Parts: sequence; structure tokens; C-alpha cells
Amino acid sequence: MRPSADQLRARAEAASAALPALMLSAERLAAALVPGAHGQRRAGMGEDFWQYRPATAGDTARSIDWRRSARSDAQFVRDREAQVAQSAAIWVSAAAGMDYTGGPNRPSKRDRADLLALALAMALLAGGERVALAGQPPRPGRLQAERMAQALVARPALDRDEDAPPAEALRPGQRVILFDDFLGDPQPVLDYLGRAASLGVQGALMQVLDPDEDGFPWRGAVLFRSASGALRHDTRDAGGLRSPYLARLAERRELLASAARVAGWHFGMHDTGAPPSQALLWLWTVLEG
Amino acid sequence: MLLIGPIGFLTPWILAALAALPVLWLILRAMPPSPKLVRFPGTRLLLGLKDPHPVARHTPWWLLLLRVLAIAALILGFAGPVWKPSPDQVGQGPLLIVMDAGWAAAPDWPQRQARALRALDQAGAEGRPAALLVGDGRDEGALPFLPAAELAAQLRALRPAAWETRYPPDPEPVLAGAPSGLSVLWLSDGLDHPGRAEWLAALSGRGSVTVVPPEGPRQSLELVPGDQPALRLRSTGAAAPDVLAIGLDPQGTPRELARLQPGEGADDEAGVISRLIPIALPSELRNRITRFEIEGHASAGAVLLADDSLRRRKVALVGDDRASEGQRLLSPLHYLRRALSPTTDLIEGGLGDVLQASPDVIVLADQFGLAEAAALRDWVEGGGLLIRFAGPRMAASERLSEEPLLPVRLRAGGRDIGGALAWGEPRSVAPFAADGPFAGLSVPGDATVRAQLLAEPAPDLGERTIAQLSDGTPLVTRAPLGQGQLVLFHTTANAEWSSLAISGLFVEMLDRLVRSARVSAQAPEADRAEQPFWLPELVLDGFGRTTEPQDTAPVAAADFARGPAPGAPAGLYRGGERMAALNAGGPMALADWPGAPIERAAQAPGLDLRGWLIALAALLFALDALGSAWLARGRQRAMA
Repeated sequence: MRPSADQLRARAEAASAALPALMLSAERLAAALVPGAHGQRRAGMGEDFWQYRPATAGDTARSIDWRRSARSDAQFVRDREAQVAQSAAIWVSAAAGMDYTGGPNRPSKRDRADLLALALAMALLAGGERVALAGQPPRPGRLQAERMAQALVARPALDRDEDAPPAEALRPGQRVILFDDFLGDPQPVLDYLGRAASLGVQGALMQVLDPDEDGFPWRGAVLFRSASGALRHDTRDAGGLRSPYLARLAERRELLASAARVAGWHFGMHDTGAPPSQALLWLWTVLEG
Repeated sequence: MLLIGPIGFLTPWILAALAALPVLWLILRAMPPSPKLVRFPGTRLLLGLKDPHPVARHTPWWLLLLRVLAIAALILGFAGPVWKPSPDQVGQGPLLIVMDAGWAAAPDWPQRQARALRALDQAGAEGRPAALLVGDGRDEGALPFLPAAELAAQLRALRPAAWETRYPPDPEPVLAGAPSGLSVLWLSDGLDHPGRAEWLAALSGRGSVTVVPPEGPRQSLELVPGDQPALRLRSTGAAAPDVLAIGLDPQGTPRELARLQPGEGADDEAGVISRLIPIALPSELRNRITRFEIEGHASAGAVLLADDSLRRRKVALVGDDRASEGQRLLSPLHYLRRALSPTTDLIEGGLGDVLQASPDVIVLADQFGLAEAAALRDWVEGGGLLIRFAGPRMAASERLSEEPLLPVRLRAGGRDIGGALAWGEPRSVAPFAADGPFAGLSVPGDATVRAQLLAEPAPDLGERTIAQLSDGTPLVTRAPLGQGQLVLFHTTANAEWSSLAISGLFVEMLDRLVRSARVSAQAPEADRAEQPFWLPELVLDGFGRTTEPQDTAPVAAADFARGPAPGAPAGLYRGGERMAALNAGGPMALADWPGAPIERAAQAPGLDLRGWLIALAALLFALDALGSAWLARGRQRAMA
């Protein structure tokens, strides 16, 4: 059932109350990372000095570094290291299952994914990158972080169990980071990865899971129901289902990891019971490389 | 009854249901609890998985234990467990229950009925015939032996009677049809009654007799007639409860008017302690009392209905009342009337008329030369109290010394002490002797005597004087005559000779004198010819509660004199103008039981565990409900 415009607005207003807290915690996370432009280890457009080289035909007189040239007979040109501000697209799944939390003292998966996404976006923006949520035009600047935060908070949860990243929004040269629990149908994700690989888009998959989903603590007679209620599974002995479930989960991870490897992507996992900084560091190093 | 250790079971066959408990355990065990409802995003990964052990999960063992224990408690409870049941004292033969059903059996009547019903139940369970002999004097003929169950209703309908326990006079015809080998249960009221020993001997010869003694002491209340009526409280125990005087208050509502406490003096007559309680109450209060009862003792024997003997005295006033309206305050009868009317019934008229009404007291105000002197003398000798007052007519008489019916011989002329032509002051009244009828009355200083009649000196003048003036001359003299007495006030009953008549002392003195009068209506049999029948006005039941008489058959005076009996329950009876009470309480004697075992109260009842076990089962079921709710809490949360 789609919420009416009024309901949506009311929900957004309620949610935006949490916005400063989200911004603050994301900022604190992002401050732990060392921001920096991505040197391309070759001469080009940039700010940092790269090398002096003898001027060749074609170099304009303005490009000659006269101070260096005055120390010898030849003319030298001061090259700067090429710096390319990248554009990154971040996508957080809005599937109904993302709202799940197994315990009262743990954030929901969606909250954690939003936090990671915004912190990563802030770090990237601080590094001068252009960042946007998938499907929106990437922009640089601090203001973009607030826009993204608002969009993340205001985005309504779906009433479906699955949410797929928008494949048509892929652009060559983009970095794409997907946050999801990847517990739904894996086929759209695999298709997405294939298409990204064909476009030369690199990125990372981050699987955010609740410890309950990771550990399967139930016993006895349980009637399992998916978040939207579309899927049900009745069991008399939930404790006996634990190892088959864990095997299936490992299988799913292996499938995603191998698909990511083939596409040149990275596959990471995060547990909402663990501190978020770890996942953020992993994402940062992956994107750095 | 099945005995297992100290526990007996009344309906042991129900215990067979305990065998079903293991089956129940298996069934309950196989029944899975309702599943928890869990919202789980990873459900897709679970689809198609098979349960490794289809019924691996059971109802928790403690819940199972609770349920099985609850059902076991129910089964045990309905099997009628009794902790340390009373041993089967009544033998195996046909059961004969002898119930003492007089007033003495009333205080613990429900316990007696319960004990008898228990015995009937046992006999019924064992198929023994039973018979019921009720000691209320009404049973006739041979006892029928019936199946025990048919007697239960009769036993429940039984009520104690408002007379003493009575057994049929001859045991033989009653026991004619009794089988041999009787087992007799005698529910005694603890007192001895006529014929009890014969019955005990007759029953002992036909079987075994077990005696159930009463619980608590028996008490009875009896009126001790006399000049000052008193109550006699008899008790088989040491307790000395208060006696309540119940009557109508000025608004006409029955209530407790006074509470009489038994004095210290107690006589012990073979185990029965009797105490005398004087009815020391003002006349006005005493006249209101309708009954006395022993506090906290519901028995007809503990209730004493008040009748004429306790009530107002009938006082006849005889005097010259020809004074006109203007001279009313000069008439002696006016003062007597005012003094006596609150506490007595007054009759006025000529002496011949009032003698026919048989008053208790006759007051003669300044009368001399009596015409009916012989009849009056007979009346006084029969127990009447004659109070005479002096006056001018007596003083003027020449033959005063020959006047009959005076306590002392009088000197002619009289004496004038406070007059205008006399020396001296009017004399006041001297304080009363501590042992006289006026003892304790306070003498007001302004009650003075100006004139009086003087007595001839005589050796017995001093002991006949019960009140005197401050100079030692007699004011009131008294002398016995036959069973009655003569009293003379040596002054007038009006204010002519003294101011005594207008003082409060006058009223109190008259009240004391009147109360000392004997009641003329003594024993009803005294005038059997005049009063052949008595009609019940109000009767008591065995518990001492007043009821309307059911059958208003008149009671012959001869039967009436013998006390309460089957045809004449204790109560208030009317015969013409007179009311007479028939009271049940009387002398008591403890019963002894040679050769018969006496059932002790300590070993009589076993503790019935049924209620406790069923309560325990209910508690366990409640715990089970709580536990189930606790198990289902996950589901509740998932639904929310």
C-alpha cells in the first residue's frame, strides 16, 4: 500500500528529526579516514607537482616554468600530477527486510546501511569526489552530503522483499557501492554485476546482516515469515534447521563473492552487532585501491 | 474405606484413574505447543528445507509435570482422602442411633447431627440396617430398622425439643423387633435423665454401646422465688457466663436491658456448679424484662421467660377518697397513688372488693374499725403484705389499743411535736439500720415529722421497728403474721402530719416494701380448680428461640405443674388474667456410663483433604496457564 502524500510528508518530517544525529555520526566516522585526491601517478591536470620535463614543441610559452629554466639553458615545463575527481554512486536497498533488527539494542539493518552510506559519501566528498545516490546526478561539495542524507531518510521502505539497484543508471568510470542484505533473489544482482563489468564500472557489494540472520538462534516450533509476509516457512524444529540455513547463507555469499570477483568488484560483509568503523575502513581501502 | 498409611479414601475406586496418568503424559508430550511466529528476512533461504527430526520438540517437561500433577491432585481429591480417619468405632451389627433431643442437646446440635449422619453414611456404605431412637419423649412403639439412607432425611429434619430429654419408659417393647448384635451409637447430652440407666443396661445386653459425649458444658437457668427473686445458673463446666436480661425498651424494641454477672459464690454439686445471681435491678427496669438468657448458650434451658412472679406487684389502695377536687392534695390516697403507680398495678375500692382481686399488697390509709377484719387476716396469713398509715381518725379513736392487724400496740392519742402549741421542733428521720428493709436509702434533711402515733413499750418493739425518728420513737414498724406481714407507718400518707409524703424517700420506702411482698399467685396448682387449663401464648423451641405456638391445645393444670413435656413445651402460658412461664431449665445431674466406651472428640473426625487437593489442582492449573502464556509471549510480540 502506497502511503499518501500527507503520510509521506509526516513520515519524512519525523525521520528528519533523526537527521542531525545521522549527519553527526557519519561525520565522526568519516573524520577517521584520511581524505585525499586520487593521484593518477602520471602527468596531467592537477594541483601537485609531478616532474619537470624539457619543453617540446607544442607547449605554450605560458606553460614554461621560468624559474627552473633560468638555472639551465633548456626550457622546462612543470608537470603536475594528473588528478581526477571520481564520481561515485551509492545505493542502499529499501527492501522491507532491511528494517529488521533482532534485538532492541541493535540498529536495524537499514539504519546501519544508511549510516555507512552517508559516512562513506562524506569521506568521498571531503576528498573532492562527486557523489550521489544511484540514479541521481553526482555533485561535489559538503551540501551534497546533506542532500543525500535527506534523500536517505525520506526514502520510504518498500513493501516488497526485494529491491534491485537501477542498472540503467550505470555510467562508465563510476564507482558504485551497493548496500543490501542480499537475502532476496540473487539474479538481479548478478545481472547488475554483469552489466557493470561490461561498462567498466567498479565497485563494492556490502552485505549488511543482523546477528540473528548470521547466527540463526531459534529453536522449537517456529513459523517464519518474510518481512512483507509473502514468504512463510513452518517448522517444528528450528534448531535442526540451523546448519542447513547457515550452509545456504555461505553458499549465497560464495555466489556473490565469486560474481564480484569476476566483475572486478569487491564483496564485503557487515554485522549490525559490530561497530560501523570497521566496515567503513574496508570500504575506503577497497575504493582507494 | 481404603486405608493407605495415615490416609483413608472414601471412594477408592476413583483412584483407578491414576493408571491413566502415564497415557496422559504421552498424549500431552506428543502435543506440540503452538509455534512461535517470527518475522525473519532470511525466510527465502529456508524455503524447501525439511525438518531434520519432525517431532523433536516437546511440551516443556515442567509444564507437562504441572498438568499431570494437577490432574493427579484432582483424582486424589475426588477419591475423598481423609488424614488419619477415625477408626471404625461402631461395630459391624445393625446400627441404632440414640439421640438425646432435649434442650441440653441444643447447643452443639449440628455437630451431633453430623456425627449421626456420618455413622449413617458408614452403615449405608456397608449395607447395615439402621434405626433412630429420638429421646424427645414422642416415640411410640417398636423401632423399625430401615436401610440407613432412608433415615438420613429424618435425621436432618430432627430438632431438639424444649423440654428435658425423655426416653420411652420401657425399653422392652421398643426393642422388640431389634435384631441381635446391635451396635449402638448414643449421642448423649451429658446429663442424666429418668430411665437412662435402664436403657443403657437394655442396650448393652443387645450389643455394643458407644457414647458420644457433648462438646462443651451444659448450662441452665432457673428462677429462685422469694422476697428477692434471684436466678440460679447451673453449669457442668467452670465457665460463668453473664446472664442477659432482655426486654422492651421505652420505644418498644426488644433489646438487652441489663447484664447480670454471676457472683463469686459457687456450689459444686457432683460436678454441676451452681451460682446464685440476684436480680438487683430497679423495679421499672425489672418490670420490662421479658426473658433472661445465658449469653452465648443457645438452648431452651438457658432461657428464663419472665412471668407474673417477676412482674409488677398488684397493690390495692383502700382509704377515704371522698375529698373533692379542690382538696385532692389533702387526700392520702393521692400521694400513695403517685408513689406506687409507676412500678405497680393499682386497684382501688372498698376492702371487700379488693380482697376478691387477691392483691399482693393492700395499703390502708388511716382506716379504723375494719369491717372485713377476719377476711383481711386470712389474706395476710396467706402471704399478703398489709401496709397501714396512721392518721387523725386513728388518733381520735378511743379503742386504739384493741385495734387488730397492727404490728405493735398503739397508745391512744398520739403525739404532736412540731405544732404551734407544742414545745420542740419537728423531728427528722433517723438513718436506717444497715440490716433493715430500708438499708442504704439516704435520708433527706427536710423530711420531718410533726405528729405521730406512739407505740406501747414492749420487749419486741425494738426489733419490730424498721425506721425511727431522730429521738428514737418508731416511724415504721413491721410484724409477721402467718406467711404475710403487717407494716405500719406511724404518720400519715399525706402532708398533714409530716413532710415525708412529699419527699423522694417516701417513694423509695414504699418501693422497697412492695418489692418485699410475696407474690400471691404462687404455684399454679394452688388454685387448680379456678384455672383448669393453660393456653400457650408463646413457646420456645429447643434452641431457646421464641416461636408462635403451632398447636394451641390447652394444657391441663396438672400437666402444667409437672414442667415442660411433649404436649407442653417451654413457653409463656395464659390462664385467664394470669400469665405463667413454663421454663425448661432446672436441676442437672451428670450422666455416667459404666461399661460403655466413650468416644473422645480428639479421635473423632479425620481431616478431610479433599478441599485442599482440589485447591492445589486449581493452583497448578493457574500456574499452567501462566506458563503457557509465558511460552506464547514470543508469538504475542510477533503479532503486535
